Amino acid sequence: MSACGVGHIYGERAAVADVHLDVVAGERVAIAGPNGAGKSTLLRMVATLLRTGTGTLTVLGEELPGGARRARCGIGYLAHDPLAYLDLSPRQNLQLYADLFGVQDADRRIDDLLERVDLIARADDPVRVLSRGMAQRLALARMLLHEPRLLLLDEPHASLDAAGTALLDAELATMHADGRAAVIVTHEVERIASVADRLVVMRRGRIVVDEPVAGRGPAQVRARYEECIA
Amino acid sequence: MSMAVNRPRWTRQLAGLIRKDLRLELRTKETVMAMVLFSIVTLTIMQFGFGTRDDDLTRFTGGLMWVTLAFTAVLGVGRSYVAEREQRVLDGILASPVPRVVLLAAKAIAIVIYMAITELVVIPVVGIFFVKGPYWDSIGWIALVALIANVCIALSGTLFSGLALFTRARDLILPVLFLPALVPVVIAGAGATHAVVGGPHDMSEYRGYCLFLVGYAILFLLVCIATYDAVFDD
Repeated sequence: MSACGVGHIYGERAAVADVHLDVVAGERVAIAGPNGAGKSTLLRMVATLLRTGTGTLTVLGEELPGGARRARCGIGYLAHDPLAYLDLSPRQNLQLYADLFGVQDADRRIDDLLERVDLIARADDPVRVLSRGMAQRLALARMLLHEPRLLLLDEPHASLDAAGTALLDAELATMHADGRAAVIVTHEVERIASVADRLVVMRRGRIVVDEPVAGRGPAQVRARYEECIA
Repeated sequence: MSMAVNRPRWTRQLAGLIRKDLRLELRTKETVMAMVLFSIVTLTIMQFGFGTRDDDLTRFTGGLMWVTLAFTAVLGVGRSYVAEREQRVLDGILASPVPRVVLLAAKAIAIVIYMAITELVVIPVVGIFFVKGPYWDSIGWIALVALIANVCIALSGTLFSGLALFTRARDLILPVLFLPALVPVVIAGAGATHAVVGGPHDMSEYRGYCLFLVGYAILFLLVCIATYDAVFDD
């Protein structure tokens, strides 16, 4: 993806302003910043859920908004909410998304994913009765269902227990090994060292730092982040 | 350079969305049950309000039936995006490569089905409550005009509920937008019903009203196709 001078205004406030960001295949970029920094707004623009007010945004080779529908075929979006119908079961939710994304051999793929996220035993229970962590694991399965080339994750570790966190990190590592790109919005700055190659810090809608993470431990990343937002 | 993507077939997307709406309704039974109960209560109130069982209200049958169905439609259409809104699923649907007009078509088909189920109850109840003359031999004609009217209701309703979805006062805005759009449907539905109830059928009048409804449905279909992308993406 490539953002060139991208901005978005809510009312009279610029939520995102003049953002320049390039993410290449296989790269994992973590976006951190205080509340209201514009991280989620930027992610929603890349996910084609919000139109850019200014600048040019290209996702998977498609310039938005014109190429949004084609770009969506290759985007996997993990939001704060599981984006699942509470009165349907995990299997029925995944069947719906398999239909929307045109997933081939959907039944086998759904069983495989439910097994991977450890939900196969609860596959036919309504999502309403699942715990928040289980619903988030369903969201992970939904994101991976159509084998997206670009992963967009908004606070992916929120609500996950230790096993869920390990599962998510393992899936991210697998996707990285497959050459898929990921943009991860997170407040858990210490985790960035293990899940990302690049650290982007946003403040008041603008990118203030964009640098590699390589060679830094969690404490060093935290120190750098604190320095950026001070 | 554009990536090579497998574009999903819209027919599969449409079938998936309709299946989802029907599954949700089968599980919760919230919308259809509310529509049926609301229509029966409304007809009962009208029965008490307009006269006793001894009064022949045949000539008002079309109006009573279609006013009831119009208000019932507002109730049903108002619930059409409740699951997406309350359970915060809309982003997931909108982030998928589904054409927005397919979303409209799926919701419209679900509303047609809900209205048809409601009419299965309403049409006989109207006959029992209000008609003293011949009625039951006209049921087929009434069902036909109801089916056409349902398409008009579903298309206009889905468009307006989509528009209202992104507003704060959506519960107020939907009836304000939708009820005026239903006036032609009520006029034509009542006219067509009147033409075939309580005496010799006036098929020429009936056909005229049905053709008007077909034209109205086509008009709203074109409006929906032209605007639905903007409703969701702008």
